[in-house]
Amino acid sequence: MIPALQRVARSLGVLLVVLALTYAIFYMAPIDPALRMCGKPCSPTDLEAARGFMGFDRPWWAQLGSFLAAIVVGRTYGSGDVLVHCAAPCLGYSFQYHQDVTTLIGQRFPVTLSVAIGAVALQSVLGIAAGALAARRQGGIIDRVVAGISVIAASAPAFVVGLLAVVVVALRLDLLPSGGYESFVDGPGQWARHLILPWATLAFLNGAVYARLVRSSMIEQLGLDYARTARAAGLSERRIDRYALRNLALPLTTLVALDIGALLGGTVITERIFGLPGLGALLLDATSTADLPVIVGTTFLGSLLIVLANLAADLARPLLDRRLAVGGRRPATPTTQETSS
Amino acid sequence: MTSPRLPRRGLLAAGPVVLGLGALAACTDGGSSSGSSDAGGSTGGALTIFTSSEELSFDPATSQNLAITTLGLLARRLTAWKTSADAPTELIPDLATDTGTPSDDGRTWTFTLQDGLLFEDGTPITAATVKYGLERSFAKELTGGLTYHKVLLEGGEDYEGPFSGKHLDSIEAKDETTLVFHLNRPYGDFGWIASTPAFAPVPEDSGEPESYATKPVASGPYRLESYTAGSSATFARNEKWDASTDQARTGGPDTIEYSLAQDPSVVAQTLIADRSDAQDAFLASFVPTAQLVQAQNDPKVGDRLVTSGPGALEYLALNTQSEALKDVKVRTAIQYAVDKEAYRTAKGGEISGDYATTLITPGIAGREEYSLYGDAPAGDVEKAKSLLAEAGVKDLSLRLVITEEDTAAAESIQQGLARVGITVQIQPLDENAWTSEVPAGDGTGYDLVLSSWQPDVPSPNANLTPLFDSSQIGDGNYNLARYANPEVDKAMLDASSTVDADEAAAKWAAVDKQILQDSPVVPLIYSKNSFLHGSGVKDFVIGEFPAYPNYLTVTLG
Repeated sequence: MIPALQRVARSLGVLLVVLALTYAIFYMAPIDPALRMCGKPCSPTDLEAARGFMGFDRPWWAQLGSFLAAIVVGRTYGSGDVLVHCAAPCLGYSFQYHQDVTTLIGQRFPVTLSVAIGAVALQSVLGIAAGALAARRQGGIIDRVVAGISVIAASAPAFVVGLLAVVVVALRLDLLPSGGYESFVDGPGQWARHLILPWATLAFLNGAVYARLVRSSMIEQLGLDYARTARAAGLSERRIDRYALRNLALPLTTLVALDIGALLGGTVITERIFGLPGLGALLLDATSTADLPVIVGTTFLGSLLIVLANLAADLARPLLDRRLAVGGRRPATPTTQETSS
Repeated sequence: MTSPRLPRRGLLAAGPVVLGLGALAACTDGGSSSGSSDAGGSTGGALTIFTSSEELSFDPATSQNLAITTLGLLARRLTAWKTSADAPTELIPDLATDTGTPSDDGRTWTFTLQDGLLFEDGTPITAATVKYGLERSFAKELTGGLTYHKVLLEGGEDYEGPFSGKHLDSIEAKDETTLVFHLNRPYGDFGWIASTPAFAPVPEDSGEPESYATKPVASGPYRLESYTAGSSATFARNEKWDASTDQARTGGPDTIEYSLAQDPSVVAQTLIADRSDAQDAFLASFVPTAQLVQAQNDPKVGDRLVTSGPGALEYLALNTQSEALKDVKVRTAIQYAVDKEAYRTAKGGEISGDYATTLITPGIAGREEYSLYGDAPAGDVEKAKSLLAEAGVKDLSLRLVITEEDTAAAESIQQGLARVGITVQIQPLDENAWTSEVPAGDGTGYDLVLSSWQPDVPSPNANLTPLFDSSQIGDGNYNLARYANPEVDKAMLDASSTVDADEAAAKWAAVDKQILQDSPVVPLIYSKNSFLHGSGVKDFVIGEFPAYPNYLTVTLG
């Protein structure tokens, strides 16, 4: 229990550091969000008033303090007769969208969640299957094909792969919509039809990592003593594969958890190409329009999700490997392929 | 954001983020120039407008929309624009019966509203609702719109909006239909100013100030039926709109659907293919370079690719307060040293725009063709060298600040100036950093800047004052040359105060020359914009000004 609490505390610390860094970076960067709100032409008085109203006239640490307090107690912008309220949990207020950031994120999250769930499912299934097959037929045609595809997927820019998918599958073959999003509630069929291309694009790009990890780990596992013993004892190759894969559960869990966390934070390029109104598209727009509250809010959420996913993977490890439940230490073997803890 | 970015003022005109506008097509086999249009579409159908914008704001107080784009479909103003492909843009009445009547001294302007105008909810559009709409634009939480009226209305500098129960006395709603504006100085172009978004009527009981941006009360042919930021906006017919009272809008399609956050490359591909789901659609963003080339060479596209005439002025600003450029002879030498031909080639060649030698944008009254610094687009190297010698300048080194997408154009400037021995260091910045360093900076960070300008209204005042008046230096304003000449300030004040249109035009033409004699900027090209639409779209017309299609008159065939 104590190690679990320590991990939670450590995660909170990470979140605070990320937030402080985000604030510090944007405070130091030559960006003045008030310029967008000043109007044209912009008088010095109007500019000062806009800064004051938005709360950007204070030092970054004071702004950070207000941000943290607002999550718990909410916040009010302006003074006198002119007030804009942002109810708790308030992650800031976007003066460009005329909405609080929490609501904006709430509207966008279902889209990103839909993208993330499908993409992670597809990429892990395809990646693990391809990796395992390649390991089993090491040096064979399947292995070479998987290696080749992995290299292409790992080096191809997301923008090119996405655009190619749209042009070929949607525009030339007319098999699927070229973009847009339909809510799951309005019809799961249309929901899935609109998401197949983004899922496939992400699975292609990220699945390569799974395939390479599983391939190399499997080859290592299959060469270990227990596999040789099992083979000598007459166990089928399929059974031995299962043992080997089970030993990969730990690193794969970590990888899947991190991917879920990262994808939930928004997939900027994929969302833009496929016209998906998710968190990535929101962040991209906020970056180009210097909408600092949205940048900070989405960055905070993205970090929170990655930290939570990591925490979940950490806490799940003892369930996957009972040796960890006792002493809380790493096993010496066979999970040497872990990428992160 | 010029090619490949939007002109500075056009930034919010059609929608913010535009990816790679690029080399803009002219009238070639693969496109049509300025006009579409397959004679007259009819009423009905569902028009789709694709845009890369993530969000749309429907609050006139915070809007910088041009009079002929999105907000104009929902909100009428006192005056409007009549655009056509082969004539200068005209000011026409909108809610008002005429384009405004000035007093003899030009300080008082009177407008009379047409009778029987209604909001979408059936309540009457009165002088008081126009006054309220304008007063809202002074409130601190509703900033970000066009503010030309704020500095003109008497008492405007101390007014903070109507939400505390105070009103601005210089806007007088005499009765239900009569509005009188009292200005703090004579102003000839107030009729044009009355076409900016803040002159749209807003009912006093329209709810919380900040919620109006997503729940506007329509006065135009459409009302906002639904809106989801990042996804879509649907406009449905406003049954209370009376076409016979509106000279600016045709109200063609039954519904208009905005598809937001779209990638322009993907949409352009869809439109080029003329897919069934995109035939009744157009792309609000400029066509990206790659798709532009594709569209020009695709016989299926034909006149669905529409290119504007010469529009926004692209220019090289010379920081007149920089030590190296204080001498007008040095600045004049740069006029001759710049290679406009190389610049235009870097922007995509002949199709990207026409050479510019003056300041006032084509399609605006007061524009006169002249060339103070020779007619050769490639420049005059010998002349430049002799001017530098006269100024006693050697080994001049200048810093040119640009946004990242202007690298090729900047290199053409660099090579041009290298011919006369001027070294140019190029510093590319991201758009936000550029804004902070250049319009909002203190002027110490640059000697040269590449920029472009499209006026908010087709008047020379909106063309020249923001770029050359000394009050427009810094704080996010666009006098990027940091040019301060009291005589020019005075001349611009005088021209803008002139009520007689012809007299004002002559004065502005003189100011144009007066400014260029001091050489604060090098005019490079008047850029052209290209747009794509589906085969079902008719009346897709780009007027002489601005270089954007007129959304208010588009119909479906």
